[in-house]
Amino acid sequence: MHTVVTALYYLLTAYVAVMLVWNFLKRKNWQEEALYVIVLIPFLLRLLRLK
Amino acid sequence: MSATTAAAVILAVMVAAFVVAKLLKVSTELSLFAAALAGALAGGKGVPARHIVEGAFTYFDIVLIFVTATLFMNLLKESGAAAFVVRAILRRFHRHKAPLFVLLALLLLVPGALTGAGSVTVLIMGGMAATVLRTMDIPGPKVAAIIFIIAGLSAAAPPVNLWAMLTAAGVNMPYVGFFLPLLIPCVLLSLLAIFILGAKAKPVDLAKALAELPEAPAKMTWLRVAAPFLVFFVFVLAGRVFPFNLPALGLPLVFAAAAGTALALSPARIALLRVSRETVHQLLPLVGTLTCAGILVQIMALTGVRGLIAVTTVTLPVTVVFLTLFLILPVSESVLMWGAAPVLGVPLVLLFNTIGLDPVVALAGMSVIWPLGDAIPPTAIIGRLTATTVGMKEPYGRFLRYCLVPAVLIAVVGTLMVVFSKKLAFLAVF
Repeated sequence: MHTVVTALYYLLTAYVAVMLVWNFLKRKNWQEEALYVIVLIPFLLRLLRLK
Repeated sequence: MSATTAAAVILAVMVAAFVVAKLLKVSTELSLFAAALAGALAGGKGVPARHIVEGAFTYFDIVLIFVTATLFMNLLKESGAAAFVVRAILRRFHRHKAPLFVLLALLLLVPGALTGAGSVTVLIMGGMAATVLRTMDIPGPKVAAIIFIIAGLSAAAPPVNLWAMLTAAGVNMPYVGFFLPLLIPCVLLSLLAIFILGAKAKPVDLAKALAELPEAPAKMTWLRVAAPFLVFFVFVLAGRVFPFNLPALGLPLVFAAAAGTALALSPARIALLRVSRETVHQLLPLVGTLTCAGILVQIMALTGVRGLIAVTTVTLPVTVVFLTLFLILPVSESVLMWGAAPVLGVPLVLLFNTIGLDPVVALAGMSVIWPLGDAIPPTAIIGRLTATTVGMKEPYGRFLRYCLVPAVLIAVVGTLMVVFSKKLAFLAVF
């Protein structure tokens, strides 16, 4: 059961990461772009299982 | 150079970097990040990638709660549930000011209480509440003040209070026992605020209000409104009643389940991807603040600045701390936003714990005061957002003037909760 919960959290993280990347690509303002990159760091590292 | 002097110099560099970044019109979130980088450089640590990553992860779980809870609220709004409830309340209670005020205050409390963000309250319920209040002949700045004060209190209300969560995480204290110490003052102060500011309100002009409010889908029912909340509470309660028989789902998954229910039961077709994308963008300043504040706190710990602030705060005269809480908490919020909790909240809770006060109730009291800073420049994010949502044409100062009386009440109640936290410790039961 715990494996299922962990898998669901990975799915959730992936979903939010995709939304972050999507929004990042649509932005024209450098400050928003920079902030999207910073916010994205933990999501990508978690998905890549680096942290 | 002694360790204390070195830490003080690094702190000064961090403050200078933050101020310069703000003067260059850089956003608060990126200014926090700039302050962290400057502190690391001044401390001779270069650009410490490992610590930046470590710090970015500090509030990752809270970020997930934030995103899923706000998505849940946005889906409810898109489904027409919020409009349905407001219209139903208005039809039933438009002749009775007192129950209408009570229900409006409670409705305004829900989105912020579930998400931990006052901005979500303003965005989900603010416009509709403003429409109703304006038809009662309440002036624009007063309407904005009502919505801002209750939105602030909704952010402090349980189950999700980010200031308490961030501070509790910083002092290795479980986020348990906060429900009643947060619920009681937030509900009472919200009611006081709406009744004080709406004292001269006239009866609702029902036809005008219904015409201005968004229509609810014809197939919307109370069951469709209640079911997502039922799912939420069943999961939360089940985890507490059967802790050994059920896996720990965590709030993000529970909110995701509630959001899924809202989506499935919506009578109107909802574009999930669009709402999700808008939710993430809407939350960027808040999520960015959490991530950058995590990095800042990590760098502060790395360079000894956090220890310096903690030791200085713990050795301050307690009376001075009590008497200045009403000032330092909102001001720290206006500068650092949620970053104020790990930077200032942690040493203050350590101080209160050291002198024998109840840390849970004391932190709850502080959490009630913190949101007041969201109306104060330089950030004033929620204050400005409220003024825009309400469509206020008058100067911002008039809105601040109307906020004054409820703000003083909130500051007094919060400070008294800190001072008498030991006597109120019986509230910290779950």
